[in-house]
Amino acid sequence: MDLAEGFRNHGEKIVDKWVEYTLSTYTSSGFFVKERDIFANPVGGNIRQALGQLFVKLSKGADAGEFTAPLEQIISIRSVQQFTPAQAIAPLNAVKHITREVFAADKERKHLVAELYDFDFAVDLAMLAAFDIYMQFRERLYQVRINEIKSGSHILTDSKCPSKLLTDKKVLK
Amino acid sequence: MAVPKLEQLSKSVVQGPSLATGAIPTMDWMEYPAVFKPGNYAYPAKAEKVAYLDSQSGLHFPNSREWSPEDEDWKLPADWKEIIIKGLKERLDKFRSLKIFMDCCVRCGACADKCHFFLGTGDPKNMPVMRAELLRSIYRNDFTLAGKIFGKMAGAREVTVGVLKEWFMYSYQCTECRRCSVFCPYGIDTAEVTMMLRELLHLVGVGINWILEPVSNSNRTGNHMGLQPHTFKDNVEFLVDDVESLTGVRPNISFNRKGAEVLFITPSADVFAEPGLYTAMGYLALFEAIGLDYTWSTYASEGGNFGLFTNNEAMKKLNAKMYAEAKRLGVKYIIGGECGHMWRVVHQYMDTMNGPADFLEKPVSPITGTVFENAASTKMVHISEFTADLIKHGKLKFDKSRNSHVKATYHDSCNTARAMGLMDEPRYILDHVVDWVEMPENTIREQTFCCGSGTGLNTDEIMELRMRSGLPRANAVKYVHDKHDVNMLACVCAIDRATLTSLMNYWNPGVGVCGVTELVANALVIEGENRAELDDGFRTML
Repeated sequence: MDLAEGFRNHGEKIVDKWVEYTLSTYTSSGFFVKERDIFANPVGGNIRQALGQLFVKLSKGADAGEFTAPLEQIISIRSVQQFTPAQAIAPLNAVKHITREVFAADKERKHLVAELYDFDFAVDLAMLAAFDIYMQFRERLYQVRINEIKSGSHILTDSKCPSKLLTDKKVLK
Repeated sequence: MAVPKLEQLSKSVVQGPSLATGAIPTMDWMEYPAVFKPGNYAYPAKAEKVAYLDSQSGLHFPNSREWSPEDEDWKLPADWKEIIIKGLKERLDKFRSLKIFMDCCVRCGACADKCHFFLGTGDPKNMPVMRAELLRSIYRNDFTLAGKIFGKMAGAREVTVGVLKEWFMYSYQCTECRRCSVFCPYGIDTAEVTMMLRELLHLVGVGINWILEPVSNSNRTGNHMGLQPHTFKDNVEFLVDDVESLTGVRPNISFNRKGAEVLFITPSADVFAEPGLYTAMGYLALFEAIGLDYTWSTYASEGGNFGLFTNNEAMKKLNAKMYAEAKRLGVKYIIGGECGHMWRVVHQYMDTMNGPADFLEKPVSPITGTVFENAASTKMVHISEFTADLIKHGKLKFDKSRNSHVKATYHDSCNTARAMGLMDEPRYILDHVVDWVEMPENTIREQTFCCGSGTGLNTDEIMELRMRSGLPRANAVKYVHDKHDVNMLACVCAIDRATLTSLMNYWNPGVGVCGVTELVANALVIEGENRAELDDGFRTML
């Protein structure tokens, strides 16, 4: 039994546990895990889809550049939720442990645990890329806020419109 | 990096009790306090705005003061508890719906996973049933026998400062979009529970500035921006210049003209901020093309009614302003622009709140002769109804290729879709003017997802929260963006136009936002036009 076959056989199980672990970081994890319609459950659906794609790439030793799309799908969401940067990214690392646990529980594939160096390294690269992506989305968020302020809708409350001066002078009170 | 052990990983990154730490919460939901930190609350209203509003006739906004949600002490009036309980009693007596909503929920959970705030945050208190429970628990405690006898066992609790803080947190994490109510087998309108929570909070001087300042501006100058008549007029005239330079046709406009057939009212954001400006230019071009006898008003210069987000007195007063102006000018009826919550107030509350507009005439299109029976009582016709009727009767000429730079999808704005049933007219219009596709079925029509920033939550200090709550909408747009190369999100609401722009800039860069009437004007062939190649429609910079 080689490693590639091990990943093929147990991939689904590993991803399921990985998704469940990631979604356990939300208070209402039950619904996020259960509902499979991505439009009815965008957090759970996107995380499930992206982790599934990421796992295939990690296990095939894909180029680190290929991690970007699934990572963006996950991190764009977690970077605007109430997580610290570490909390937002940490669940990615869990796949190392989950993979070991799943292989170790299978007598015929126990030995594969010793062959996970490259896989672990790929996960490390994904983790590092995730921090960059986290920052990209935080910066995008700030840019969106700046754009909104510049667009004029802030005038709603803090403008220098002539009529604003009247309120300052309490003319119309 | 070392191989993580799941338990260690959880402990190092997850704070507090959570399933991830293996420590299943043991506390009851009532025990979890609302914690305010920068980014999760909107700024409180300035004291002078609250004081001003309280001084105005017909309005009641007592207990103005400087306070901060992050402070332990909110400087509540000494008798705040009596004020809240008395306020709740008055409302239970006055609004039969509230009494029913408090009593009839069986906690079936049908609404629980339908809220965009819940879907974006995973916070159980954002389940509509739980948000209502924040008030229901107090209702049980003070107004039901079971609650009085069994207390907590019957789901009752006493109102405390902590409860009040929780109300503030969660009544401002609800956009009153009413998606939850579509799924409630009893038809409980959870938005009205939020409205009551906000009303009660205003009684003790707790409100947010992004709502109260526009209300105060509207009360003073007639629009959210606080624009005075000359400024409003100048802005519309600038747009007339723009339409002329793009099409070669100069729209005729008038302000406060007595005897005009129609008064046109739209959100002031349309004449002031991008991308609403292009929608306003669309109105001007459309009305010119059909030669409508209409007038703008510099007093009823706002369709939006932020009063709806505060209390029923403010909502009533701001709604009345539009009709007072229609009466003063002697118009036959009103055409309303692409606004969201204005239509909810007009369709759901006006008749019982202000009374039917009997002094106006039943709207009849002067171009097609169509009688708008649906507006027989309110005397206010939606621009999309009016336009769809013109198209149906072949009164408009389009060149669809003028929108070839656009691949659109349509966002049903919550209020027009769920509060007035306007779902087919905008689609009928889009069919005639642009190539467009629908988003997935469970995200459109009556199941539409809110932009995430309605009810006065479109302020920048809570941008993260807005991105979370807007995720379900953005997620559906992403799907059609990826699959069909959609590059424009059309809608019929001014708040949508402002907030969906930010939402798209975060989640789906490359997707713009526009009003339906902008797309109409892009494709419209106007008699006598001298139009250059407009690669970007009405957004083309010449």
